[in-house]
Amino acid sequence: MKRVMSLIVAVIMMVGMLAITGCDKKEEEKDKVLKVGVVYISPEDDGGYSQAHAEGIAKAIATYGDKIEVKKLESVDDADVEATNAAIENLVNDGCTLIFTTSYGYMDPTVAAAAKYPEVYFSHCSGYKYSGNGYEGKNMDAYFGQIETARYLSGIVAGMMTETNQLGYVAAFPIPEVIRGINAYTLGARSVNPDVVVKVSWTNTWFDPAVEQASAEALLADGCDIMAQHQDSPSAIEAAESAGAYAIGYDLTYAGAPDAYLTAPLWDWGTYYTYKIGQVLDGKWAVENYWGGMKEGVAKLDALSPLVSEEAKAAVEAARSEVTEKGNAFVFAGPIYDQNGELKIAEGESIPYDDQMGMAWFVEGVIGQIPS
Amino acid sequence: MIGDFFSATGSLLSIVFSASFIASAIAFSVVMLFGTVGELITERAGHLNLGVEGMMLLGASMGYFAAVRSSSLFLAILFACVGAGFGALLYAILTVTLRVNQNVAGLALSIFGAGLANSLGSKVSNTSTPDNIAKIFKLKPFSLSSPSGPFLTFINKAFLSHNIYVYVAVLVAVVATVFLFKTRAGLELRLTGENTAAADASGIKVTRIKYFYIILGGMLCGIGGLYLPLVQQGSWTSNMTAGQGWLVVALVIFVRWHPIKAIAGAYVFGSLTILGFSVQLNERLSSIPIFNQYIMSMFPYLLTVVVLIAFSFRKKAWPGPKEIGRPYFREER
Amino acid sequence: MFRISKKESFSKKEAISYRLIGFLIGIVLSGIIIAALGYPVIKTFISLAEGSFGSAIAIRNTISFLIPLSVTALGLSIAFKMRYWNIGGEGQILMGATAAMGVSMIMPASTPGPLMMIAMLLAGFVGGSVWALIPGFFRIHMKTNETLFTLMMNYLAICFVQYLYFELWKDPAKMGFPGIQDIPFKARIPYVSGVSLAIVAPLIIVILVFFLIKKTKLGYEIRVVGESEPTAHYAGMNVKKIMFVGVLLSGGIVGIAGAVKLMGSTGTLSSSLGGGAGFTAIVIAWLANLSAPMIIVVSFLIAALEQGAQFIQVRMGVPAAVADIVKGLILMSVLGSEFMLRYKVVVGAHGAKNKLDAIPSDKEEVHHVEPIVETKENAL
Repeated sequence: MKRVMSLIVAVIMMVGMLAITGCDKKEEEKDKVLKVGVVYISPEDDGGYSQAHAEGIAKAIATYGDKIEVKKLESVDDADVEATNAAIENLVNDGCTLIFTTSYGYMDPTVAAAAKYPEVYFSHCSGYKYSGNGYEGKNMDAYFGQIETARYLSGIVAGMMTETNQLGYVAAFPIPEVIRGINAYTLGARSVNPDVVVKVSWTNTWFDPAVEQASAEALLADGCDIMAQHQDSPSAIEAAESAGAYAIGYDLTYAGAPDAYLTAPLWDWGTYYTYKIGQVLDGKWAVENYWGGMKEGVAKLDALSPLVSEEAKAAVEAARSEVTEKGNAFVFAGPIYDQNGELKIAEGESIPYDDQMGMAWFVEGVIGQIPS
Repeated sequence: MIGDFFSATGSLLSIVFSASFIASAIAFSVVMLFGTVGELITERAGHLNLGVEGMMLLGASMGYFAAVRSSSLFLAILFACVGAGFGALLYAILTVTLRVNQNVAGLALSIFGAGLANSLGSKVSNTSTPDNIAKIFKLKPFSLSSPSGPFLTFINKAFLSHNIYVYVAVLVAVVATVFLFKTRAGLELRLTGENTAAADASGIKVTRIKYFYIILGGMLCGIGGLYLPLVQQGSWTSNMTAGQGWLVVALVIFVRWHPIKAIAGAYVFGSLTILGFSVQLNERLSSIPIFNQYIMSMFPYLLTVVVLIAFSFRKKAWPGPKEIGRPYFREER
Repeated sequence: MFRISKKESFSKKEAISYRLIGFLIGIVLSGIIIAALGYPVIKTFISLAEGSFGSAIAIRNTISFLIPLSVTALGLSIAFKMRYWNIGGEGQILMGATAAMGVSMIMPASTPGPLMMIAMLLAGFVGGSVWALIPGFFRIHMKTNETLFTLMMNYLAICFVQYLYFELWKDPAKMGFPGIQDIPFKARIPYVSGVSLAIVAPLIIVILVFFLIKKTKLGYEIRVVGESEPTAHYAGMNVKKIMFVGVLLSGGIVGIAGAVKLMGSTGTLSSSLGGGAGFTAIVIAWLANLSAPMIIVVSFLIAALEQGAQFIQVRMGVPAAVADIVKGLILMSVLGSEFMLRYKVVVGAHGAKNKLDAIPSDKEEVHHVEPIVETKENAL
């Protein structure tokens, strides 16, 4: 009897919960302060991708002072839909009216949340759905950067500096964003050194130092003398230094390997966040698919280290203004051949935006496979 | 077909026996080696501590925290021991004195340990290993400056060019072996784990032994964990151990609770984990389905399962210390 | 010198009060550690509570966490009752979801929604039970240690789903990005005023499990096998068959949790679909002393803790990991309190036999000491 009672109590508790959720309690908050929410895929101080975003947000805070208040949730796994939904819900619940979701995997939950909360603005990074493109509402847009411009220039450095003509690339996942970066790097390297090859090793993680190091070591053992990466830790740079090789970093500058570090493609999100938050503060939210490059200051090439040769420096400077001005249109301008030697993009054309967003093939000179 | 098979095997062997691969695998297995020796000591006392992941993280975070705040390697190691040892102590109180089920106690420890470690670690997120400590581990004490001839070059690259941490791990395994099988104290430990009642009856202080070795085993796990932020990465990230703690539990069985074998066992697991990278770069191998990188990621776990099944065929369902899982009640003796 | 003797029995009131004391000790200990880390203790705890119940959104999130946790814990409890240490919940969730996903991909697009959903739930059951029976088979017939085996099956499941995610089941419509397609919209469990109808799952399953364990012959047999395998043999029970069915049911229910999660909250398959529920559910089942109704209550508390943890991160900047500290310490303290509940520590005399500590009154139910704490016969 007692046990049946406890069973009934349990059921009543659950039904009671359902009843309460039926009534919505809206909190009245008259805040003039704009509450901005940010969802990060890793800790804010990961020394890589999230930190670049966080530093951008910090610049916005410095600009707007106490007109804005920033709330954040870190280390939200973007493959975990439930955790993502809960994270966004928590930010909305706390009163955020502008929410940035900083990783590709947050895309669908962001769309769902935008539909659910039409009075909140959502801005999603590195995806392809936004108002008018996969979503009917008016409160979501997208942003990313033409980092490939900086990748291209870093490729020039590598192409000039390599002695074995084999460049290593430690890459996270075979997704278009990463593939674009590899292609841009290769195109840049081969623009000054047509004999160069780029060997790709997939790690299947954005951040796992031990794994990244092992992957880099495999590439170094295979004959590569300059490492590059699409990873969020500096392990590949360190591995290069231990092996007496050079390295090109990513996301942030790195001072821990002065005998190896050449330069890195960097993110500077401060420009974007200041711009977008300013829009909302002025009540002038506009949907767009933001894709700033070196011209806008979102993508940058780190200062070339003292290790970089004079010839390499000159080659970079020669290309810099055109790359900056024209962005990816220049980087991916034809003629471009694929891995099998077939002409994919003719002279005078360049890879269309959609094809860049969905890029799933390697250019000539890349040694590696994209799982099909 | 046969030709393909031989050439594929040839490629595989040339990867696995290359000096750089061996060196990478050794570096990758340090953490697991410490953990395996530590956990097998705990299990030799009759206690299966599933909380290895938690203890590794505790050691890593507390040790790294101390390193950053004090720039002292000694304090870093000390606090790593304190952190992991504290977790092990909680486990010991629960399972030795309070006779709680070992599986659940260990699981609780892994949750608690990870929570405390990550909370502490977030306070030192944007820091890196102090230079004086980092310098110590950039040293390669046994490396030859100009090895002559291919054999010496090979040996130098594969085995002699590691940092001190690696060699200490091997030393610990050797010392543990000598201790376990050649000393009286080791005998008492083994007896406690095999037949606690008999040990107790012959005057061995079983409770004291259990506490001591559970905590010591935990400390070794903590030292293993410390390698990650202090040396390998040079900074802290949440959940750095990435599941290696759970692999250690499997490894202990794989090496049959024998510290010397742990060296080989950790090496095998480490090399399986990184084999994928080298295989990817080899065109001949990477087109073979079984060498698909995702399939390969299963290998360490499959190997453990195979070993478990193999043991059962030999009618030894649990070939380890017999007292594992049973709390000891003197009254029931 | 002191002796430990097992209490013959203890009253329900004692059980609740000792466990409550354990719970409170856990709270106090975690408070100490939170203070040592430099966070405001009282404010943290209040925020944890506010974050889980303080608004409709919070409660909805809590319920969303509750559903997979409670179903998984219910499934695991069946195995644990037999002393079969099913640590493989995470893998069984994944494989249940994978089977359900597979079914949704095979069925023709014109299949009516409810039919598809039923098929997916059945597939979830099959997926989970098959995955559980692989180690189960070896345990039943060769006494292979299931703790380790089921643990490894978790990682095999994760690796396998990654293989599907990046290669075999990669969705071409995702513009080159990895990922598996969404399940058809008609197979998704609908929401009613923000709450998923999937809440029905734990409600039904708790009743089923309760009756199975307490009122059926199989349930009785499971309990006897759990208490003592030799006794079960002696009583003529087919222990192997009982274990087989028990593991099948256990894995199957956990597989349903995975399918429900797929159809309810995530809509697609990825290797992090489990979200750690497989491990947390072990904690829940244990704290609830394997009692089905209590599992619902404890799941609710743990779900509240997880939701509250996100909230304190947003509101106070306290790392979400703090919730794991609280979770772990509460579990350890309650586990520890079990000891005080079941055993009497007598100071002084040797040779004293078991003593009854409390003579229960007529009105209180008497519990016989169930060997949740291990004795020689039921190791590991």
